[in-house]
Amino acid sequence: MSHFTNKRQNLITFLLLSPGLAGFFGLFFYPMLVTLFRSLRPEGQTSGWTLGNYAAFLSDPDFRRIIWLTFFLAITSTLLSILLSVPLALLLRRKPVGHRLFRLTILVPITVPGLIGALGLLLFWGSRGWFNLLLLQVFRFKAPLTINYTLTGLVIFYVWHYFSYTAITTLSTLEGLDPAFEEAARVAGATPWQVLRYVVIPLIMPGILSGSVLTFMAAFGAFSIPLITGGNYRPLSVAIYKQIGIFIPARWSAASAMAMIMAALQVVFLIFYMRILRRPMA
Amino acid sequence: MTALAKRYWHALINQKKLFVYTFLWSFFLWITSPFLIILLKSVGRNWFGKKWLPPELTLDWYKWALTIANIPQVLSNTLIIAAIAVTISTLLALPTGWALGRRKVPAKEVLTSIILLPRMIPPIAYALGIAQIFYRLHLVDTHLGVALAHVAICAPYAILVLSSTFEGLDERVLEAAAVCGASQLRTFFHVTLPLVLPGILSSIIFTFTTSYNEFTLTLMTYGPHTITLPVRTYLAVGEGYWEVTSALSIILIIPSLFVLFMVQRQVQPEKLVGGFKGV
Amino acid sequence: MDDNMIELRNVTKRYGPIVANANVNLSVRRGELMTLLGPSGCGKTTALRCITGQVTPDEGRVFIDGVDVTDVPTHKRELGMVFQNFALFPHMTVYENVEFPLMIRRIPQGQRREMVMDALRLIRMESYAQHYPRQLSGGQQQRVGLARALVYHPKVLLLDEPLSNLDAKLREEMRFEIRDLISRLGITALYVTHDQAEALALSDRVAVMNAGRIEQVGTPDEIYESPRSRFVADFIGLSNFIRGKVLAIERGMAIVAVNHIKLMVPAAEGTQVGQDLLVFIRPNDVQLFPVDFAKAENTFEGVVHKLTYLGDTIDYRVIVAEGVQIRVQTDGKVRFNAGEAVKVCLPEARCRVILE
Repeated sequence: MSHFTNKRQNLITFLLLSPGLAGFFGLFFYPMLVTLFRSLRPEGQTSGWTLGNYAAFLSDPDFRRIIWLTFFLAITSTLLSILLSVPLALLLRRKPVGHRLFRLTILVPITVPGLIGALGLLLFWGSRGWFNLLLLQVFRFKAPLTINYTLTGLVIFYVWHYFSYTAITTLSTLEGLDPAFEEAARVAGATPWQVLRYVVIPLIMPGILSGSVLTFMAAFGAFSIPLITGGNYRPLSVAIYKQIGIFIPARWSAASAMAMIMAALQVVFLIFYMRILRRPMA
Repeated sequence: MTALAKRYWHALINQKKLFVYTFLWSFFLWITSPFLIILLKSVGRNWFGKKWLPPELTLDWYKWALTIANIPQVLSNTLIIAAIAVTISTLLALPTGWALGRRKVPAKEVLTSIILLPRMIPPIAYALGIAQIFYRLHLVDTHLGVALAHVAICAPYAILVLSSTFEGLDERVLEAAAVCGASQLRTFFHVTLPLVLPGILSSIIFTFTTSYNEFTLTLMTYGPHTITLPVRTYLAVGEGYWEVTSALSIILIIPSLFVLFMVQRQVQPEKLVGGFKGV
Repeated sequence: MDDNMIELRNVTKRYGPIVANANVNLSVRRGELMTLLGPSGCGKTTALRCITGQVTPDEGRVFIDGVDVTDVPTHKRELGMVFQNFALFPHMTVYENVEFPLMIRRIPQGQRREMVMDALRLIRMESYAQHYPRQLSGGQQQRVGLARALVYHPKVLLLDEPLSNLDAKLREEMRFEIRDLISRLGITALYVTHDQAEALALSDRVAVMNAGRIEQVGTPDEIYESPRSRFVADFIGLSNFIRGKVLAIERGMAIVAVNHIKLMVPAAEGTQVGQDLLVFIRPNDVQLFPVDFAKAENTFEGVVHKLTYLGDTIDYRVIVAEGVQIRVQTDGKVRFNAGEAVKVCLPEARCRVILE
């Protein structure tokens, strides 16, 4: 009797899940398949199979530079995000005056459309923006620093947009840490820096890493930011868009091949990262 | 030499409070000054950057946005599309979230990761596919089409939020209602609904802002009749009129500010927006 | 050489409107195990934290081994501490946990190894050196906590409710292990707990604390037999408090009138004629006799109101006068029923006078 009800229960569960699954298949899985198939078609044709598109890219030095650039931007902005988030979290957990304002500030870059942040950053860091005004007028620089459309500028913009994920999880993990650990370390004779180094940081590392995965993924797949502020630097997503947005006729097969490579790299990196995260706490 | 350096270092550390607040306020300024500058740019005249503040104020740019940039039309497009996207996403997420939150689902973690894939894979990858499919189905440049594209990234988040909302619904409360004599229907309206309403509301708000702010997928599925605010802003950047773009940006940012306002009422704002469990 | 290893002098600590420690004076003698006993929220943890340095008192000074350490940061105070929830570093093995204080002190590797293994041997956990805390039971974790606290031979060991997270049977075993360890090492220890049985069983001296103040300091015997305040009397063991008025004092005994009953109780310092005070006696010191028993010291009639069978004892509530109820615990050899008239005897020597 229970066997029968079990089957019925599973059927109901499946029916309930079906809208979500249908959405997933229709709006993600099937489009990915379309992209995959398109990537295997010769450019501009609707039949025939070829691996030519992939071969063309993997051997193209320009393409390799694009991949390097995308990884470089993602990795540096992730590392810098961690370097920003850890002190930020450590300072905020003592709840200094105005800490609620600062916590809210952490959320701003991910609540606000990326385009707007990009625009504001361009204005602020431009040769006639406030940053350079500060350098010229207050710090007596001779000439403005060029930040916009440089690699450094792009990294700063990336960090601005994507550090929030890391900061959120770092802060959350830090606040969940039992104060008894630090107390025990202090009584045992550790200075505040030693407590940080040997006890606090190792214990919040899982939190830092799980947030930095999100930062990395967002930075790797960044589109609107580099589109507007990248200048001559075109990471993968922008390069893909250029294939269909700039070229006439649009090079759909090329774009699809690049997109599949991008998706594959993302998945591989994710699996690699998760392996590190799942390591036991030792 | 090192003794001197050590003394300076200790002095800096001991000025702990000064150090702390300098760091925090610099951080605050670094995040917020782009918005401040956009705001000023949107109301400034003849401000070409050599000065800290615009010399004259004007509302011309906003007038321009309203008339030449055709903002009312653009705004209505954005809102209609967002409304459709929210409706579809919520309708999808309600049963799916319920199943994930309250029923026995085999391989639940795997399933959750799969549902989150559209947010993990760079949208441009499947946006290409969506563009081609929608072209064949004549969905390009329609409100429904763009909204459906939005659903791809809105629905996973809605499912996540709702599944955790439903999971948090304590069975014993429902049991207590039944013991008190309430029928299934009454329990639903008087007990279940009020308890899940905050979660549903939160899901709707975030789905709405995700759709409102969405750019990549819109770029691949839009047309002259479905220009949304983010796309219009992007086109304005291309046209080079920073002032008008700034005005558009200010208009664009309003729902996000509303969301931030709602979020700040929480004790720990980061807990609300976090929510990426099991990634 | 100062006889006191730990001293709190006039320590006051406030948290907003709450006074956690109010003018606390506490001295722990060299080599003794003192327990700081009190209910939750009485301020004992705050006092402990003033000693470790995690909390800086608003007023007063803290001394360790005769040295004023009030302004010395925690990590320089050379104390050992054991925590209620063990606080073993989850990302380190047992060996690394115990090694931690030695690594901080830059003790050379070889010597470190020796000291760690000595400490592990002390708690009989040498074979667990490579285990992680999550693989150990509660009792084992607490022993590792002890090893970590003692490995660098501190002068003082502080214990913050170390057994509260263990189940009852384990608690009893661990109690004696800890006591034994501390005696063998000859170390001075301050033990904080809310469990009075633990305090009486373990300590050389007990300091009873309530609402930020030290109420009484004495040996377990003194605390149990001669409590000086109502709180101390009430907190330790069971009590009867009978309100009465002093009619007369002669030859060190006070005659206290409780309604129509006259009790003879040993007078305390400062007892005056006409004073309102409490007569205190423990339920298992009160004696019950059949109603025809001959009159003797402090014996009068009463009626059994209710009784509870507790196995090895019987708990009676006896009404002796209007609004005066006495709780009695007997060994059950002679039994009385509810509603029965009995004779109640409060032996003089077992009565105490308590001023409210």
